[in-house]
Amino acid sequence: MITVNINGKEIKLEKPVTVLEAARSAGIKIPTLCYHEQLEKYGGCRLCLVEIEKIPRLQTACTLVVTDGMVIRTETEQVTNARRGVLEFLLINHPLDCPYCDKAGECELQDMVEKYGHTTGRFKENKRRIPENLEDPVIVRNMERCIMCTRCVRMCEGVQGASAIAVINRGGHSHIEPFSGGRYDCEYCGNCISVCPVGAIMSRMHRHSYRPWQLVSETETICPYCGVGCTLVVQVRDNVIKRVIPRLGKGVNSGLLCSRGRFGYEFVGSEERLTSPLIKKDGKLEQATWKEALDLVATRLGEIRKKYGSDSIAGIASPRCTNEDNYVFQRFMRGTIGTNNIDSTASLGYAGTLRFIENIFGGGVTANQISELSNSDLIFVAGGDPTTVNPVFGLKIRACSRNGGRLLTIGHSKGLRNFNPVELRPQLFTETVLLEGLVTALKDRKGLPGSNKKIETRIKDINISVDDVEKTSRVSGKDVEKFANLLSESVTPAIVIGRELMQSNGNSYKFLLLSAISYLINGKIYLLSERSNEQGVIDMGCAPDILPGYKSVSDSEFRKRYESVWKTAIPEKQGLSLSGMIISAKNGAIKAMYIMGENPVYNLPDSKEAEAALKNIGFLVVQDIFLSETGKIADVVLPALSWSEKEGTFTNMERRIQLLRKAVIREGKEDWRIISNISGNMGVKFNYSDAEDVFSEISSVSPLYKGLSYKEIEMGNSIYPYKGETLTGGEDIQIHKGKSITAVSRLYLRIERPLFHSGTLSRRAQALLKVYPEAVARISPLTAEAYSLKNGDKVKVSTKKGFLELPVAIDDGLENSVVALTNNFEGKGAFSLIEYTIDTVTNAPVIEGIEVSIEKGGG
Amino acid sequence: MEKTLLKNIENPKSADINEYMNAGGYKALRKAFEMKPADIVEEVKRSGLRGRGGAGFPTGMKWSFAVATTDRPKYLLCNADEGEPGTFKDRPILEKNPHLLIEGMIISGYALGAEYGYVYLRGEYPEANDILLNAIKQSYEKGYLGESILGKGARFHLYVHQGAGAYICGEETALIESLEGKKGQPRIRPPFPVNRGYLQKPTVVNNVETLSNVPYIIEVGSEAYSKIGSPDCPGPKLYCVSGHLEKPGVYELPMGTTLRDIIYTHCGGIKGGKQLKAVIPGGITAPVLPADKIDCPMDFVNMPKHGSMLGSGAVIVMDESVCLVKVCYRALKFLEHESCGKCTPCREGTGWLRNILGRIEYGEGREEDVELLLSVASNMMGKTFCPLGDGAASVVQNFIKHFRNEFEEHIKNAKCRFR
Amino acid sequence: MLSEAVIKELEEIRQRYPNARAALLPAIYIAQREFGWLSPEAYEAVSDILGVPKTIARGVATFYAMYKHKPMGRNIVHLCTNVSCMILGAERLVDILKERYGLEPNSTTPDGRFSLVIMECIGACGTAPAMLVNTDFHDNLTQENIIQILESYK
Ligand SMILES: Cc1cc2nc3c(=O)[nH]c(=O)nc-3n(C[C@H](O)[C@H](O)[C@H](O)COP(=O)(O)O)c2cc1C
Ligand code: SF4
Ligand code: FES
Repeated sequence: MITVNINGKEIKLEKPVTVLEAARSAGIKIPTLCYHEQLEKYGGCRLCLVEIEKIPRLQTACTLVVTDGMVIRTETEQVTNARRGVLEFLLINHPLDCPYCDKAGECELQDMVEKYGHTTGRFKENKRRIPENLEDPVIVRNMERCIMCTRCVRMCEGVQGASAIAVINRGGHSHIEPFSGGRYDCEYCGNCISVCPVGAIMSRMHRHSYRPWQLVSETETICPYCGVGCTLVVQVRDNVIKRVIPRLGKGVNSGLLCSRGRFGYEFVGSEERLTSPLIKKDGKLEQATWKEALDLVATRLGEIRKKYGSDSIAGIASPRCTNEDNYVFQRFMRGTIGTNNIDSTASLGYAGTLRFIENIFGGGVTANQISELSNSDLIFVAGGDPTTVNPVFGLKIRACSRNGGRLLTIGHSKGLRNFNPVELRPQLFTETVLLEGLVTALKDRKGLPGSNKKIETRIKDINISVDDVEKTSRVSGKDVEKFANLLSESVTPAIVIGRELMQSNGNSYKFLLLSAISYLINGKIYLLSERSNEQGVIDMGCAPDILPGYKSVSDSEFRKRYESVWKTAIPEKQGLSLSGMIISAKNGAIKAMYIMGENPVYNLPDSKEAEAALKNIGFLVVQDIFLSETGKIADVVLPALSWSEKEGTFTNMERRIQLLRKAVIREGKEDWRIISNISGNMGVKFNYSDAEDVFSEISSVSPLYKGLSYKEIEMGNSIYPYKGETLTGGEDIQIHKGKSITAVSRLYLRIERPLFHSGTLSRRAQALLKVYPEAVARISPLTAEAYSLKNGDKVKVSTKKGFLELPVAIDDGLENSVVALTNNFEGKGAFSLIEYTIDTVTNAPVIEGIEVSIEKGGG
Repeated sequence: MEKTLLKNIENPKSADINEYMNAGGYKALRKAFEMKPADIVEEVKRSGLRGRGGAGFPTGMKWSFAVATTDRPKYLLCNADEGEPGTFKDRPILEKNPHLLIEGMIISGYALGAEYGYVYLRGEYPEANDILLNAIKQSYEKGYLGESILGKGARFHLYVHQGAGAYICGEETALIESLEGKKGQPRIRPPFPVNRGYLQKPTVVNNVETLSNVPYIIEVGSEAYSKIGSPDCPGPKLYCVSGHLEKPGVYELPMGTTLRDIIYTHCGGIKGGKQLKAVIPGGITAPVLPADKIDCPMDFVNMPKHGSMLGSGAVIVMDESVCLVKVCYRALKFLEHESCGKCTPCREGTGWLRNILGRIEYGEGREEDVELLLSVASNMMGKTFCPLGDGAASVVQNFIKHFRNEFEEHIKNAKCRFR
Repeated sequence: MLSEAVIKELEEIRQRYPNARAALLPAIYIAQREFGWLSPEAYEAVSDILGVPKTIARGVATFYAMYKHKPMGRNIVHLCTNVSCMILGAERLVDILKERYGLEPNSTTPDGRFSLVIMECIGACGTAPAMLVNTDFHDNLTQENIIQILESYK
């Protein structure tokens, strides 16, 4: 116990903290500027100077650590004079353009001067002039206003790990800028904006259109983009979202955001939003009333069911919709329509992986807390760059490295390259051999723990010598040994599995190998998740074989629980998976399809094939917030309320359930309400009054959520396994090794998952489009040289399935054998070039080994 | 006094290892390696050696802090940044007697348990760089550096790291940052370098001259050493004297030689028989002294009592033709240029002071300017992150203290009469 | 792109330090030697080799006054004007350089022969005024001998 005396007040402290922290804990305010609790200590601004007995010089409260018996004074004349002097120094080169500056009202300098500063200035000379820099589309920099607290730089380098800005020059000539001096070439997380205390670094979005005090409403909610589930504060003026900010101490992201979360919100207010239902008449979609549309859907679905049976109808749920939407949707499909033909795009990889691994280790093995990652001593990343798929999750990996943890990757993770990773880069399509080598090596080092017979019998069969690994994968035996040693020495390892593995050839076998590694080193597994409610959509039973709570539809006991609440029968037979639906649509077995918040015509691999299949369906209903590619071919289009316009919950990748709140008011219906209306029209009434009502039903029926309520969620008590019952693994391990691919072509296609986009949602976010405006074909510098291409050159990229004409972008993070394309831009989706098979175990599409050719000068 | 630091430097080949050894070099090293490291530390402690980099911190005490930590590896850094204007005392050691420094570093490294040494050499000394590199090479060849020095198992590796033009890198924590590949900005203390310095490992930073004293201490013993010069800070001292003198240059004299002796006895007095006007006795940031205040013993203990400081021992002598407003202005221009920019009072204050001084010097001073200078200086003094900012305030305060009339005259007449 | 030999040189320098970042200053010296000055390409090369982000490398380099932050002439005249040199006439020498070569502080003659950098103390105060031309010291400068000295640099 340490006792200090501040301004005559005795303060007891558990551990040595800084004078500033000690004062704050006792409610004593000491002004600060360069200090920021997320950042490394700096001690530069000198505003927090205080007097300490027995130390002749004033000391900075933000850096000095207390010792027992220290006597501190924070408000003496000497301190006040020092403070006033410092503020005067800060103002001599500050433009004092507060009437024009957007920061006015929440400017820390303004507040400070008001409270502690001089009333008149003695500096009569010319101030430093640095013109405002507007070269960047998203961020504006005004270095005249900068007070050199370096919070932005410390954020960018020390927390975000992007190192995109730096202080240039020194002393009074210093200023902060990106490498180019103009435009940023960065991750656009905007975390520099968050920490800037003055108006030196600001967002360009809605510039000069509001004052901070005019942001009347603030709503805490969850990000609509990825599976991390960051907490956002949405600030609204005149029913328009003006700004999205993070908040310290809130959510998994505590004060941090990524580009999508911070800048991607504009889709909500987009002019392209659907405003009324549309019904196709004479091949054209025309506006209709809700009544017309709802009646039509109910009638047609009823007719089709009657004529062709329930299983002629299928539904696609959405990893972007809330748990409540998805729950009601599957109830509708199962109870009202009477089919288990329900699935979602979570089945394109995430679901199969999750369920494969859970089958080995039991339910919830991947429900590991994101925050724990930064304390791991080692993180092993396989299958893509976590910093683009799940950016804030990626920050924890960077933090791990900064805290002294080792990062191991298979393949190259560009976002981790500055974090001293140990990379193994096997030849194309030889990861399996490498993983087998690692399992063998670890087995030798660690032995079998004996706690899981199921996986051990498999591990026993895996034996490959380091030499053989080297022969096939061309990763040197020495490197494999080193990698294995690091893995085996780790005490708190984590394993991160990314999308590229989830959709790779023989993915189930790779998951077995990764599970084996995890088992041998006692690691925690994390699955990257692209969509905000990818986990929730599966939890809610939007899968052809399980009910909400992960029990099989064939389990009659479990079925009964739902049947008794829904008062409808649930079919016992497993339904069609997403790929099955596409096949059945193509061959005519599916007569009607209801798609909620999904765009399969664009988002499914081999998207042209998917489009043809869906066009073959007699009656297609699409419920969405925009008229998507799929909407355009629908018979009825129903406009839904979007994120920030409705309430509900998302479940993130660590299986934390979090509340979404309404921030703007828009006329319209939530997805679950539209579906309830239709169900009612079909004679099965759903009596939900609001989203919370839906959730109480979920928690009352599904044993997993027993006792969980919005109130509990709000209090943060919604971490897996909640208070419910978890399931343990059941079936035997099935694996499929996949066919062996040998690299014959020069170039293979890879799907790029860019930091700045996510599916088709971000197409309507202007800021993100400004940062990443169009589809490109990324190639390595060597490939560019071989084809004599430079940045921006047009190329024709072809596969067996077709071609795209795209500008080239040279990217030094890519292998020479790869062309990376995105699936985010209209008419330019990489998925249109993909031919795939479905893995028989995970049901995920295998999109590995697609040969591509490039040709200069297309279009 | 017999020269030790500048011994033999008239020999044109003094930098060669053979010449150095012929003159008795590397004997102390052999002697030291017969001693226990702890005994060497004790010997240095007893010698009373104080750091010659400017602050005069007792070297033996610094060493014993570093020895007390068990963390490994330890580093020994030689501060050869010599950036304080007027200072050129380390240069003759580096260029003419490099083996003395190397020998001193090897002994110090052995005493401290440091296995790696770096000489942080200012970028402005390219010749010294070449000479040092060659000397280090020779020393490796003779087995004084390397994996097993003199075959006795102790290892010491020595490298030269060139700075790139930043005065602040002479400050030891800024030096460490710079050696880590960063901007040379001072660090928060504690932790002190002896506990967590270079790459967070225990680190001793000593000046070139300080380390060059070590072989002599070992050679003659602490007792004989402590009898040289002032009782409270003994030893030989290099005074580098510049300005209006008959014989400017570097003089090795016993610590505590008076300023008057240095100027009039050793340097032959003021050039051309002119009148002495002022002296800056310890590098540009040391308080200026008027001509009648030069009867002060030049050491770390006595100078503060006489209103200034020994600093780096750089004496700048100015005759009657010099405008002191201009000198003050030039000093502030330097300090503004060298301010690292980390802390507000120094970053903004040095520029503001320079600004006001400039307008006074150029005949545009305002009546309130002298008071304004003092007020700005007092807002800086004691509030900056490192001593550079304090130094800037002190320069202004002391020039005004002793030569206020010259400032006022500039303002009143709206011109400088020395032009 | 750096040649094999230079990459080897950098690797060798890298070995003198406990980590790659610490080798940044010497690596920047080498990059500027190879590229003539610290161009964006020079930073990229350093960044590639040491794994230090190029923005950081640039921030560090611009802190230091002696790196070449823009293209420079064939001969760089580092002329000291700090107090010891100033009181012995260094400012007059600056004027002379302007009169004789049209050379102003922080600029380069149009023929690329000289660049002038005004220095803060180069440690030659005892023989002031002084300058460093490239890596050669010249002291006890006068209005006459400074031109003579510079004439030997082509
Ligand atoms: C602004 C500033 C500049 C300094 N410059 C130098 C220098 O050029 N050379 C030097 O040896 N010490 C310099 N010092 C002192 C060092 O911080 C440190 O005290 C010294 O290297 C310790 O060595 P010593 O104990 O052998 O003197 C400087 C200090 C400050 C505050
Ligand atoms: S006083 Fe402050 S700005 Fe000046 S050099 Fe020291 S730390 Fe840098
Ligand atoms: S807040 Fe303490 S120095 Fe800036």
